[in-house]
Amino acid sequence: MIPILSVMASFLMLTSVQAQQHQVRDLLGRDMAVPVNPSRVVALAPNITEIVYALGQAHRLVGATTYSDYPQAAAALPKVGSYVHLDLERVVALNPDLCLAIKDGNPISAVSRLESFNIPVYAVDPRNIKSVMDTIFRIGNLLQADNQAELLVSNMRSRIRAVVERVAQTDHKPKVFFQIGVAPIVSVGTNTFIHELIEMAGAQNLAAGKVVYPRFSMEQVLGMLPDVIIVTSMAREAAFERIRKDWYQWQDLPAVQHERVFVQDSNLFDRPSPRLVDALEILARLVHPEVFED
Amino acid sequence: MKKNESIIFKRFIQVTGLLSVVLVAALLIGLSIGSSGGGMAAVWKGFLKTEPSDPVLMTILWKIRLPRVLLAALVGGALSLGGLVFQALLRNPLAEPYILGISGGSAIGAIIGILLGLSQFPGITLTSFGGSLATLLLIVGISTGQSILRKNALLLSGVMVNAFCSAVIMFLVSMTQDTRLHNIIFWLMGDLSLGSLQQTAILTVFLVPCFIVIFMYANTMNLMLMGKEMAQSMGVHIRRANLILLVTTSLMVSVCVSQCGLIGFVGLVIPHLFRLLLGPDHRVLLPACILGGGAYMVLCDLVARALPQQGELPAGVITALVGAPLFVYLLKRSNP
Repeated sequence: MIPILSVMASFLMLTSVQAQQHQVRDLLGRDMAVPVNPSRVVALAPNITEIVYALGQAHRLVGATTYSDYPQAAAALPKVGSYVHLDLERVVALNPDLCLAIKDGNPISAVSRLESFNIPVYAVDPRNIKSVMDTIFRIGNLLQADNQAELLVSNMRSRIRAVVERVAQTDHKPKVFFQIGVAPIVSVGTNTFIHELIEMAGAQNLAAGKVVYPRFSMEQVLGMLPDVIIVTSMAREAAFERIRKDWYQWQDLPAVQHERVFVQDSNLFDRPSPRLVDALEILARLVHPEVFED
Repeated sequence: MKKNESIIFKRFIQVTGLLSVVLVAALLIGLSIGSSGGGMAAVWKGFLKTEPSDPVLMTILWKIRLPRVLLAALVGGALSLGGLVFQALLRNPLAEPYILGISGGSAIGAIIGILLGLSQFPGITLTSFGGSLATLLLIVGISTGQSILRKNALLLSGVMVNAFCSAVIMFLVSMTQDTRLHNIIFWLMGDLSLGSLQQTAILTVFLVPCFIVIFMYANTMNLMLMGKEMAQSMGVHIRRANLILLVTTSLMVSVCVSQCGLIGFVGLVIPHLFRLLLGPDHRVLLPACILGGGAYMVLCDLVARALPQQGELPAGVITALVGAPLFVYLLKRSNP
């Protein structure tokens, strides 16, 4: 018995030295063993890909999801399906030593299948600016990029501070209707990062409330008299024009009278990634052009 | 009579043997093709262990593709068999679990189960079974007592139940913002992509006894096709046979739906094909539908995952693209 045990023990030691793993706990509180120096990482959502790039760790990435198109280099990565509908076979074929998943989006069934193949899946849950920063620190730590994470987050913080200081110069809080869906009209409730961005940009979110993605009829929107309307869309220029035109038929709207209906790239606003700060800067300039005149 | 029995037995053996070979061939093709490439040659070398196996390829083969093709075979076999039984009992060649709305009913049950936060098994399977039984009762209730228009009444009530079920499904999907329903559109069109060995094992445990029960009634179904009086005079207990067969079939369908979503028209295409090829004897048709339906589904799923460059199609899209035109053709032929 003892020789067998010692053989097993030495075998275990051997494998642990080979793989160089350590125990970590992901942001959902799940414990797992991951490689100390992961070299074959698959990012299971576009915002994770963005975070890994922003940390300067793109050389570790071997795969990403279909719509991972930022930065441009990410588009060339092997694709493993979309984040809600992962192609497990492609993930496994890339022989990853670590997968990075998001709680809100990657189906739990797909994640547990991957884990059943002995692929560690580290889950993060970025849902507002603070948790994006947490996520950056955690992923930075996993990918041996603590310094880059520190740098990235402090840069984000100082840019956020600059925006907040700017908009503090005015007491005026324009009423913003933020439209993320065209038909039906869908906006964002209080528990979203877009709401957080609107508040930080010194404006008020007309759709604030418990419902996460509330729906509105045209009538309701007209009744709320928004000062600014921001529409995010995946569509290209031609469709942008059409969406704007649709709003311009309502001449009584303050937003229309002052020509403040804007269409923005949805990728910037619906991905909890470091680019949320870009989104914040854009938003602040759109709602408070007066304090950014320089 | 004795001689007849032995002829049937011989045909049974022939058909089962031949279609088993077809099914195994379909399974092997299904195993050798997938989104990661890999190529037939590598797969075969892996199988035959002629060279040291690549662990990644082995995981893909045994843990991703194998459960998936087995799942497809089981579901295809069960749905074809379901179609065959419905066609015999309702004496309507166009009856099929999907067309009659039975699949839709079990989908509603499954979605309710998902929203209640039940586990995949047994929770969602049970709610799904409840949904299919409810729609079955509804259809039989609506369409009985209309003996003259019986055939059309049945199909029409099926169409209505199906439309109603779709509306309820859309209602549930629109009313909820649940992220668990993210994949619902895919699932509604039939999705085999997350098939695991565990799932396949659960399906086997449910479906194989159902296959056996239905097989025991093969000859009864032959007699029932000859008409009520005839069957009764041959000693068939019609009510009991009807009840057992309908409930068993609903169970089969709902287990499939709760695992793989709505896959339509398989139960139409396969039984018709084999009735054309093999004649009307259910003792031969039953194994033919199980094995042939399995092979058909494996190939449909293969097309669904091999056709698009990026990602994959829901398998139900392929079965409907093949099945719906066939349905129209059969309807036109039967109503000149």
